[in-house]
Amino acid sequence: MSASASRLKAVLGIVVLIAVPWIIRDRYFLHLLITAGIFVILTSSWNLLAGFAGLLNLGHAAFYGAGAYASALLAIRLGLTPWIGLICGGLVAGVFGFLLGIPSLRLSGPYLAITTIGFAEILRMVAMNWVSLTRGSLGLYGIPPLTAIRLGPGMRIDFYSERNVYYILLLLLFATIFCFRRLTRSEFGLTLKAMREDEIAAESIGADSNRYKLTVFTISAFFAGVAGAFFAHYQRLVSPETIGLGETFTILTMTVLGGLGTLTGPILGAVLLTFLSEGLRFLEDMVKIDVRMVIYGLLLIVTMLFMRNGVMGLLTRVTDSVLSRKKG
Amino acid sequence: MKKRSSSSIFVLLFAFSLMCTAVSPQSHAAEDTTIKIGILGPFSGSLAFNAGEMKKGMVLALDKVNSEGGIFGKQIELIYGDTECKPDKGVAAVKKLITSDGVLAVGGGYCSSVNIASTEVANIEKCPEVVAIAISPTITRRGFEYVFRTSPDSPMFLNGINRWVEQVKKPKTVAFFMENTDYGRDGEKIWSEESKKIGAKELDHLYFEIGDTDFTTQISKLKGLSPDTTFNIASTTEAALIQKQARELNFVTQWIGVGGQFTEAYFNMCGATCEYAMGSSLEPTLNVKNPECAAFVKAYAEKYPGARPGIFSGQGYDNLMVIIDAIKRAGKPTGDLQKDRDRVRDALKTTDVKLSQGEIKFDETGQVYTVTPSVVQVQLKDCRPELRVIFPPDLATSEYQSPKPWDQRSCK
Amino acid sequence: MESLLLQQILNGTVVGSVYSLVAIGLTMIFGVMKISNFAQGDYSMAGAYVAVLVFAFLPGWLGWIGSLLAAAALIGLLGVFTEKFVFRPLLDRSTDIDIIMVSIGLFILLENLALLFFHATPRMIPDPFGGATIRLGFASTSVMRLVCLIFSFAAIALLELFLNRTKTGVAIRATSENRHAALLMGIDVNRIYGITFGMGTAMAGIGGVFYGTLFAVYPMMGVMPTLKAFIVTILGGMGNLRGAIFGGLILGVAETLGGTYISMEYKNAVGFVIIILVLLIRPSGLFGRRESL
Repeated sequence: MSASASRLKAVLGIVVLIAVPWIIRDRYFLHLLITAGIFVILTSSWNLLAGFAGLLNLGHAAFYGAGAYASALLAIRLGLTPWIGLICGGLVAGVFGFLLGIPSLRLSGPYLAITTIGFAEILRMVAMNWVSLTRGSLGLYGIPPLTAIRLGPGMRIDFYSERNVYYILLLLLFATIFCFRRLTRSEFGLTLKAMREDEIAAESIGADSNRYKLTVFTISAFFAGVAGAFFAHYQRLVSPETIGLGETFTILTMTVLGGLGTLTGPILGAVLLTFLSEGLRFLEDMVKIDVRMVIYGLLLIVTMLFMRNGVMGLLTRVTDSVLSRKKG
Repeated sequence: MKKRSSSSIFVLLFAFSLMCTAVSPQSHAAEDTTIKIGILGPFSGSLAFNAGEMKKGMVLALDKVNSEGGIFGKQIELIYGDTECKPDKGVAAVKKLITSDGVLAVGGGYCSSVNIASTEVANIEKCPEVVAIAISPTITRRGFEYVFRTSPDSPMFLNGINRWVEQVKKPKTVAFFMENTDYGRDGEKIWSEESKKIGAKELDHLYFEIGDTDFTTQISKLKGLSPDTTFNIASTTEAALIQKQARELNFVTQWIGVGGQFTEAYFNMCGATCEYAMGSSLEPTLNVKNPECAAFVKAYAEKYPGARPGIFSGQGYDNLMVIIDAIKRAGKPTGDLQKDRDRVRDALKTTDVKLSQGEIKFDETGQVYTVTPSVVQVQLKDCRPELRVIFPPDLATSEYQSPKPWDQRSCK
Repeated sequence: MESLLLQQILNGTVVGSVYSLVAIGLTMIFGVMKISNFAQGDYSMAGAYVAVLVFAFLPGWLGWIGSLLAAAALIGLLGVFTEKFVFRPLLDRSTDIDIIMVSIGLFILLENLALLFFHATPRMIPDPFGGATIRLGFASTSVMRLVCLIFSFAAIALLELFLNRTKTGVAIRATSENRHAALLMGIDVNRIYGITFGMGTAMAGIGGVFYGTLFAVYPMMGVMPTLKAFIVTILGGMGNLRGAIFGGLILGVAETLGGTYISMEYKNAVGFVIIILVLLIRPSGLFGRRESL
């Protein structure tokens, strides 16, 4: 497959993505796509930590939530435009990421896992109890959407409708994936992978693992924060549940299902599970049994046991063997 | 290689998702053989049982109207949206009901934090939402003209108790032990103001989270302070556990809550231990002097033999009946969804019906103002807990009983 | 005269002992197999539901003792089963992540299976003492809670006896110290793994019966015990049995006193704050990570 042909395929994929809201007009479907898109950023950023750097972060929802609350509060209290709010949300989350990176320098495995959970739980309790700031469990509602763009007299793009939000999300997604791609293929990314496999060996060739860990935590958190801020201005509501363990577990299940440690795995996992969830909900209504979460748990176990590299890994193996059969 | 697989993946993904959309019901919204009403509620999770009670009341109303031929010759169809008592799930559910399912109006409700968000969405989408059960005042105080509520708000619920506290109990010292949610904190504000009004000393404000099971720390602290009255807003499980643990720690006080905890599950869990607890209640079986209420209780017993019509079934029944009544008065649907929704909204404004809670009329903010919860106390009969109305005197079926120390109680 | 401080210390001690029961199993499993079992609390939840079912047939004291035995047996078996099919295949993998992930998957699965079969409405396990309370001079508590406290100490003592005096127990310790040497000595390591895991989950199951009697039984009840158990084991040292008791008591008292004198709203955060501070200073926990049991 020549380079130009594969590039053509990529362009085709992008064209399809852009055309979707014009083909399928159903607003709920667009809502699903937006939800999936936000999860793509979350899974990809989580994957940076767990899949590439081997750092198990079970407090990822804290970054997401911090970004959401930060941007929402800035918009509500200070009237800051959400466009800047997105960046601010990312920065605030980035700071938290840096903070969480500090314990990761000395801890690993379950110790790190519990510390990250603890961090997220403390943040969630703050969101619940600092009522004068966050309105507690009531949540922040009435968050303004992304400010409308005026293109000229009478031409306004507002962000109440799902379609326009979807396009901004696409831009965000392209930017995120582009960044992550560059990152993982750079020397930085390769060093991370080396550290994951054997930290001591990596240090012996001069990698300052502390610097790398802190950096990857900050970057991962930044993107999660931006996703959170985006979510805040789309849904126009955030509540302490956003910082819950359940959110983190969903992100985790998606990433694992899609394929840890690959770039496309988290994307696949996020989209697949969002739509699978809808399909299952439809089934649930029919048979009157709540099986969705049971299936999530089973998927996680089965994937870990038999499909370590997720669906992406499975598909790669399949396409590889098909290709080799063609050649041979 | 990677690029090639990834773009193929995307194409596959979209084929898959297109299939999903084709299969799921929302694409068939064009047919209008039924009148569709959306119903929100926490149908999964810890409040599922209570939401189920609300649903039972609604299904009673639904079957009654449908068996009489429906409205305008069409059957009514309820489409349920599960909010899981989480605001973001609630927003997604109401969006789906309004945009994909194309419902004429939305009813149901439970968790204030969810319904505050869902009503905002409904108002923007210009679809009438009639809220049940959720009591936060904010829901109807934002000037949203498409939003109505068939249940009293928290000031209305607590009003009766406040009169009783002023006229009968007159405590010198009070304490607050609240669920750390809007439900708890709204009530806390109201009672704090009331305490200042009657000159009672506020000894402490304590909180707990939904899902907590150990209250011994807080109860021990309360015990050290010995308040005459403890305001305790909690839901079923926590409320029952608090009563049990108060007993273990030998703590006696006059417990006053909103009344939402007085469900069958609560009485099963705490039994005789919850004697003397007080609250405000819309429990239908207490209002049997009211003929519509008595009819509701009877019909409920026939449809669900052995089940008790609790507070949520009555509110569910009334909620759906109000929506149906408004749709009837709005006139036959024209097929233009927005126009029909506007007509339903206009009809809702002039609602005047008598249902299980009493008379239902909305004020200019869309809030029902004609329903009055009764002030109740848990009293024992043959060592089994029952709710008795104790105030105001003309509606009371029993006298107030002051809590006795634990070792003097005859029922264990 | 009742003293608030002493009452709260008593409360904390009692609550802590409940945490310890779940933590004992966790620390044993980690000590021998290096598995961090995030589903530990769900084994407790399963044990609590076993008790609910037993009580449907056997009332009173018979029901309660029967529940303890049934929970230990059934949940122990569940543990053996999950160890063999879910955890053992992953023991050879190089990273911790896989095992933690699969235990999270198990956690989600068990919790939602319970939701499916038993629904969310909480159940109660009848207190065989009928809620009887004890008035010590300075504080009160229920007899049941006191029994729980005594039981957790007794459990540790029995476990230690088992590990030191019985053949299987010694084999377990040998395996935790050096797996390869144990293999060479002819110990069937797989069997040891099964037994250890089964014992760990059986303890969790019994802990669940206590939890259910003191509080309530519902499908989501496993989350908090799991998190608290991890905090307890890190405090007491992962793999350190006696540490599990001390860790539990420390956590329980710290939470209760922190809640009373500092802030009630952040009571549940106390454990996490302690853990983060401890780990920053001593990454291997308060009493250190034992290399073997």
